[in-house]
Amino acid sequence: MRSSLHARQLSTTLRSPERGFRLEVPDFAMEAGETVGLTGPSGTGKTLFLELLGLLRRPDPGSAYVAERPEGRLDLAALWGKGRDHGAATSTRGGLFGFVPQSGGLLPFVTVAENVTLGQRITGRADPAHAEALMERLGILPLAGLYPAALSIGQRQRVAIARALAHRPPFLIADEPTASLDPATAAEAMALLVSAAREDGAALLVSSHDVGLLERYPMRRCHLALVPGAPDLTVSRLAMDAEAVA
Amino acid sequence: MRLVLALALRDLLRERVQLICNVSVIAGVLVPLMVLFGVKNGVYDALIGRLLSDPSNLQIDTSGNLAYSEADAAEVAGWAESGFVTLKTRSLFDFVNVKPVSGGALRDAVIAPSGAGDPFLPAGATLGPGEVAVSGQLARQIGVSEGDEILIATQAERPRQLVFRLRVSAVIPSERLAGRSVLAGIDKLDLIEAFYDGFALPDHGIEDGRPLASRIATYEGIRAFARNLESLAALQDRIETRFGVSTEARTRQVEATLGLGRNLDLALVLTATVACIGLAAALLFGFWGAIQRKARVMATLALMGIGGPRLAVFPIAQALVSAAVALVVSFGLFLAATLAVNALFGGGVGGDGMVRMSPVQVLAIIVAVLVFVLATSLAAARQAQRVDPATVLREGT
Repeated sequence: MRSSLHARQLSTTLRSPERGFRLEVPDFAMEAGETVGLTGPSGTGKTLFLELLGLLRRPDPGSAYVAERPEGRLDLAALWGKGRDHGAATSTRGGLFGFVPQSGGLLPFVTVAENVTLGQRITGRADPAHAEALMERLGILPLAGLYPAALSIGQRQRVAIARALAHRPPFLIADEPTASLDPATAAEAMALLVSAAREDGAALLVSSHDVGLLERYPMRRCHLALVPGAPDLTVSRLAMDAEAVA
Repeated sequence: MRLVLALALRDLLRERVQLICNVSVIAGVLVPLMVLFGVKNGVYDALIGRLLSDPSNLQIDTSGNLAYSEADAAEVAGWAESGFVTLKTRSLFDFVNVKPVSGGALRDAVIAPSGAGDPFLPAGATLGPGEVAVSGQLARQIGVSEGDEILIATQAERPRQLVFRLRVSAVIPSERLAGRSVLAGIDKLDLIEAFYDGFALPDHGIEDGRPLASRIATYEGIRAFARNLESLAALQDRIETRFGVSTEARTRQVEATLGLGRNLDLALVLTATVACIGLAAALLFGFWGAIQRKARVMATLALMGIGGPRLAVFPIAQALVSAAVALVVSFGLFLAATLAVNALFGGGVGGDGMVRMSPVQVLAIIVAVLVFVLATSLAAARQAQRVDPATVLREGT
């Protein structure tokens, strides 16, 4: 059985005295091995959607969000505790997801190799051979002993990709991973990200403003767009590619 | 937990400037306070040591004509403030002649009541029935030492002297017992008084006089020693109140020294309090600011699955390691300062030097500093726990 994520009537609401914002996900699914591209204008909550799926935002009550894994079904919406308590969301997030932030998000005080294996150490899934293979595949093995400050932005993104995959998470979330790269480096990084996730069998959800870049790769697409809401509430809704095109 | 500790140490080593700043701030406050504390210890201990080296500073003698009984002495001895307590015979009969049994010089000396617990005697020493202790000066002048036998005789004859043949169980150093003195059990002084009062003492060859059985033993005074210097004034007050007499003691001198110690303590506490408030503010905002600067690192760790209390370990571990390094540096500097101060001024306060600190005090300082630094790092720990991991996704470099 392949791992997959399923969300139905999933939403999260940001409260604000002036104007609130609600993100609505009527129906979303993602299966290990596939790539899903997320697009949408600025202000429609692309990062918020990634945060919601990545257990970084508490879903609204009534949301349905589960992960199907070989070892069984996990109700992700029920992980959160009360108030500021993240409950089991934090530890579950570490094992279930790998993240590729826009800027790499590397720890500056450990080496490239240590950054790559960090997820393995946190989740207790030590696998030095896999980490080395990833670094080899992403062309950063010669940089293993360097600190992030000595790397170019493109190299840092490769390290971030290796780190996100090293502990073999079933799902990979990449938020504008090429936004801070020049077009040539961006294309190279995106190609590496897509191929590395596919070779590792992980599902990849990648957001980008660069629709042209996403179109170079076979992937399902989803789109966020604002829809009419209450006067004091901005609502953004996710639509899958067919709906988005319509 | 081990991973977070290891990461915290790696970050601390990389942020050497931050570590040096924190160590400097802690050592900058700690070293002067420790030197002040050490000097206070040295000076005060020397003054107290001088007082304690002379047991007379613990001694209280009643004055006046009141008669005391053995029950009175027992009552005083039972008080919490009391150390050794003995009755006194009339001071008129305190003078005796002393010479070695083996022959030699004869000297007059003062005989004083003594016994187990007498602070003039060596610690733990007792006086057996046939034993006395003598002052160093008397021992030198008549040429006796511990174990020798001496003859102690009254200065009056009736028609012959009352003579005791006794063994010297201890020679008291001159700095503890000045002059020519003999310390003997109260029974010896009681017999001397009975001798002067005209009672027959056939056991000692004094056949003439009233029968000793008709004598009612009363005593001219009580000599009490306070349990410690702090108890002297209270014991003196209690004796005077209980018996309605005046007493003689070196209370003013002792209280002046103790008051000096209390004032030095107060000054040190005030100085330390002000310094610690400043240090607490510097460390609290320093640790908090460091975590603010490292919010992205904290968020990355939280994003990858380290959350809650485990993240709080990061700033706490860094703070405690900083404190440990600061303690090592501080004690190193303190040692250097101690050697310098003791070399310059140590001669004036006795052999142990002017700056002193006991192992217990060193341990207390270490624990206090670690607890203090731990407390100041709690705000940073709380801040670390509150970091939103989503900031890694939302913020670019």
